[in-house]
Amino acid sequence: MIVPEVVPQLVVSLYPVAIWVGIITGLIGLLGISYQKNDLSVLILTDIVGVAMLIIVAGVATDLAEALILPGLVVELAEIMAISEILISREIRKSKRSRKDLAPTSLSFNMEILETAPVFIAVILIAYGIFLSGFTGGAVAGGGILFYVLSKSARGLPVELFDGLAGVSGIAWVFWIVGFLLFFVGPGFWLLGLMLSAFGLLIKVASKVGLIGMLTREEFKKE
Amino acid sequence: MDLTTIGGQLLGTIPLGDIVLYLTPFNLFMFAGALAFTTLIAISRTETQVEAEFGTLKDKEVKVDLQEFKIRRFLAIVCGLATAGAMITGDLFNFTLFVTLIGIVNIGIVSAVRQVDVLNAAFQYGLIAMMASLPLFGGAAIILASTGTLSLLELVKIPYVTSMMTFGSLLLLMGIIGETGVAPFYATKAEMFRTPGSPFILIIHLSSLLVIVRAIEVLLIINKPF
Repeated sequence: MIVPEVVPQLVVSLYPVAIWVGIITGLIGLLGISYQKNDLSVLILTDIVGVAMLIIVAGVATDLAEALILPGLVVELAEIMAISEILISREIRKSKRSRKDLAPTSLSFNMEILETAPVFIAVILIAYGIFLSGFTGGAVAGGGILFYVLSKSARGLPVELFDGLAGVSGIAWVFWIVGFLLFFVGPGFWLLGLMLSAFGLLIKVASKVGLIGMLTREEFKKE
Repeated sequence: MDLTTIGGQLLGTIPLGDIVLYLTPFNLFMFAGALAFTTLIAISRTETQVEAEFGTLKDKEVKVDLQEFKIRRFLAIVCGLATAGAMITGDLFNFTLFVTLIGIVNIGIVSAVRQVDVLNAAFQYGLIAMMASLPLFGGAAIILASTGTLSLLELVKIPYVTSMMTFGSLLLLMGIIGETGVAPFYATKAEMFRTPGSPFILIIHLSSLLVIVRAIEVLLIINKPF
């Protein structure tokens, strides 16, 4: 028996159901694609097939299956972004319009909280994020950076900061990978590997979320 | 059936925790082939096409500018390295990831040519690659569920074959065909061989060929027909 004894029989019997649900969902998505003639709708319907993939993988419910879900999700996102870029550049070729016409219009947030909220909250969020470390900490600290960037007091940061933050993010990513590799190559150094990946991931995620905030602020300035 | 039936002889293993690579002449040959081709791509320069015109002596040079050339060469190198990784890995999990990486990079290589026909083909190939991720990851997950492992060295030792294992491996083959196997057809459909800067497109063919050969080895290891 592959499934350990501690797992109740009810949970085990749900696995074939999960497989069937996944396959039927995938077939529904494919059916929709076969009827659809609009390219954009086809692209969106293809995402249903990706969700069906997640259902089938999630049905296994072990840590190795979770390790399969993460790259599956990332691959789906990467492919849908790449294909929509292809679609945009094809439409630009076809219609002879410039890219600027198709770019989204600038956001116009007119919220009072952006002006009156104390920036000190950002400091608390960043400190708590560093304390958490890892992916969650990166998200929390990134939220803090986002808060700081969106607030009115931080206007006018130099453009070089964008490139700098992107570079820091890349280097932190290398730390994460090196730490991850240490688990396999030298299991004796597991603590070093754990710390490297935890704080590499913290800096990477935080700077990525912060970068999104900066890009949004650049959209603000367009008004 | 053991690994030596297909791979010649087992030259050794590289244990990295629970990820174990195994080396056979079969794997090493394909690994070295993919790496050699990647090296050739990394040191190559772009070609310049000459368009001749009837009736006149005016020939037009079609050049690829440096920026686009660098992007395409980078994508081709990543594709070559991912192919080499898929050849040497001893783990179905890593094999799946390498195949999806090849799929994403192939979309990039195909769509690097800025022509409407080529972009059409790239769009359709991208849709197929996205749909193929369902059988690819689903197949790997079903094999994991029915055997309890994704390591090829462990899969070889399992004495029985259940119908769920066969079903999972067939799904896996479908996924691999969708991600990389059909890529040359879409490259040919748009006549990409005549577009400027086309030599990098050959890596699509090499990767799909090598990955399919390796996928057959994986299928034989899982299903043990003899």
